[in-house]
Amino acid sequence: MTNFIDYLLGGFSSGAVIALMALALVLVWRSTRMVNFAQVGQAMFTTYIALTVLQSTGNWLLALVAAFGAGLVLGVLVFFLVIRPVKNSDTTGAIIATFGVLISLQAAAGMIWGGDPEGFIPPVSNAGLEFAGRIWPVSWYDILVWSVTAVLVVGLTLLFTRTSLGLSMRASAFNPEVARLSGVRVNRMLITGWAIAGATGAVGGVLIAPVSTISPNSFDILLVFAFTAAVIGGLDSLIGAVTFGIGTGLVISLVSGYTDASNAPVVALVLLAVNLLVKPDGVFSHHGARSV
Amino acid sequence: MNTVSRVKNLRTFPGNRILWHAVIVGVVWLLLLLLNNNIDPLYSSYLALVAMYATAMFGMTILVGLSGQVSLGNGALMAVGGYVFALTSMNWQTVPIFGWPWNAVWSMVFAGLGGILIGGVVGGLAARLKGPYLAGLTLGLAVGVPAITNRFPSLLGGENGLMLTVPYPQGGYAAAAAAEATDTIDPVAEPGLDPTIAPVEDQYAELDLSGFDQGVDPNAATSAEDMLTEGDLLTTEDLTNGNDLTLESTDPAADPSIEPGIEPGIEPSIDVAADPTGVTDSFDVGFILERWQASMAIAVACLVAFAAMNLIRGRQGRVWKAVRDDPIAAAVVGISPANSKVSAFVVSSLFAALAGAVFAQILSFVGPGAFGLGLSLSLLVGIVLGGRASLLGAILGALIIVWLPELVDGLAGNRGWPEQITNNAPNLLYGLLVVAVVLAAPGGITGTVRSWVDKSRGNSRSPLS
Repeated sequence: MTNFIDYLLGGFSSGAVIALMALALVLVWRSTRMVNFAQVGQAMFTTYIALTVLQSTGNWLLALVAAFGAGLVLGVLVFFLVIRPVKNSDTTGAIIATFGVLISLQAAAGMIWGGDPEGFIPPVSNAGLEFAGRIWPVSWYDILVWSVTAVLVVGLTLLFTRTSLGLSMRASAFNPEVARLSGVRVNRMLITGWAIAGATGAVGGVLIAPVSTISPNSFDILLVFAFTAAVIGGLDSLIGAVTFGIGTGLVISLVSGYTDASNAPVVALVLLAVNLLVKPDGVFSHHGARSV
Repeated sequence: MNTVSRVKNLRTFPGNRILWHAVIVGVVWLLLLLLNNNIDPLYSSYLALVAMYATAMFGMTILVGLSGQVSLGNGALMAVGGYVFALTSMNWQTVPIFGWPWNAVWSMVFAGLGGILIGGVVGGLAARLKGPYLAGLTLGLAVGVPAITNRFPSLLGGENGLMLTVPYPQGGYAAAAAAEATDTIDPVAEPGLDPTIAPVEDQYAELDLSGFDQGVDPNAATSAEDMLTEGDLLTTEDLTNGNDLTLESTDPAADPSIEPGIEPGIEPSIDVAADPTGVTDSFDVGFILERWQASMAIAVACLVAFAAMNLIRGRQGRVWKAVRDDPIAAAVVGISPANSKVSAFVVSSLFAALAGAVFAQILSFVGPGAFGLGLSLSLLVGIVLGGRASLLGAILGALIIVWLPELVDGLAGNRGWPEQITNNAPNLLYGLLVVAVVLAAPGGITGTVRSWVDKSRGNSRSPLS
């Protein structure tokens, strides 16, 4: 039983990061109705930028801000250079184009920073805290991860529910034509969606980097987990992405703890397949069933 | 006029179509075998890789191009074929079935069956999914299936993979020492005339290469060579080719020493799959294993191409295209969209599994690193660059995938670029090219050329049709 609790607690950190990545996927889906498979590539790239900032200044907060800014810029760049030109052609092409971006970003990161995994020094201790006579699998760094994630999720929720920008974004996601007729600048909302998604993913990347290592390919598996969480959550639900992001983190932590860490991708695959078979539109989704 | 239009519009004469396809494939097969016998063995190993990639990409043509399902899982399907081949050829090699000793052909049949089985399962799931959902699921497949090998380390070799026992034909491309061997049937020239029979049946001897370690163990080369001193039919070129190579190696594009060796599991980039040097380094250049591997890969690729041509240009091809273009309209005229999607997946999976079995023989190795996400992505890159909806596009894509890293290496070798740049340059090129092609020329090379031709003739049609 103590094992079970330990694994659960350990899963919250990775769950929080998966939730952020899933949020990024959902934000993109809400703005352009497509899955950005380059999302973790963008996060990897901005995390390398954060690493460079951290190594030169030693200031973790500055690194986080740098990644956040780089994420915004990269999201807008990808949208302008790749997504907007391809958007009106076939959906197959759009999916393939995001993979092209992923391959390019990984190769570019390899060129600039090399392929060797690099460590990312956490700002606070990564060691388990001692409480009530035993060491728990929760560190100050985990608490920091939870806090940053919570701040980001609350901020996004407030943005979408309490501001006119959020209302416009929701309107253009819900029905672009009606939104345009009501005076919403839909294109700007799309760009905003991609920018926020890029920044959210970037924060997720900086948060996960000290726990794992960072290399051009190290976030590939995160894409699978985040996609699983986003799809189970319904792909257009922020709540769903956060809930199932954390849920996926917990399941993976339990599976890794009780069996072996190498089972995690297989479990994610099974979760995804079962969900797509049983409830393909996701748990938190609002729209009706597909015809064909 | 009549005969001309017959040749031009094959699809209007279904009775002759299969015959025509057989003739085309047979001629190409013969030409490729001639090419294989007359080029440097080093180039033969590239030829083998191109044929292997082409085999897998024919499946991608059907799946992505005709059926419109974006799959990133074909690398994982290749892994299934490769592992089935490895396990059957390693564990069951002494059991004769219908009089045949257990050899590579039987293992490939089992690899194909494994591919069909997995294709049916994945296809059944995939038929319910659209665009990004399917891409995400197959992405999970590409990441998850290689991870399964870690689950069963004793059976599947874990992260280190399995070293294969490569069966090779007794009378085939063996070493130079047996140059005196004469007057048996040439196993190479025959099958080119009859494309329905595999050229490599029934004449295998078991060659144990399990001792050699992917370009690391220098002793393995000698042991492999020692065992290859019987029966040889291709006598004339053997020694001369070995000598030629020293001259050829001034060409930087052909120099295998520039490339890093294969490191399964460590470097999951596209290069890993395309890198043939793990094989070529391990053998003395006078040894013609490369030529045998190329002839085997060509045989499989030609058979698969023949099947794919008949499928694509026949009824099934039209069904796939109809469902891709408009599933509702297809359903209205009595086509089941689900069945169409599943069948595309099964066929593509069969081709991928056969390619995986060929890959296993080329590498004499199967491991999770060789079949990682990079391989799946490179298949997608190749098919998009070559042309999504045509078999010729698949062949061009295979050429690009194998040739581009060599080109970059050649350029880098002269200029002394740092390894960090050189290793990643092909992938950067692939990524940028894919984006550029999707944006500017969605039909890839073949689609674009065809639309030019159509335009000059005054026709118009979609570059993806």
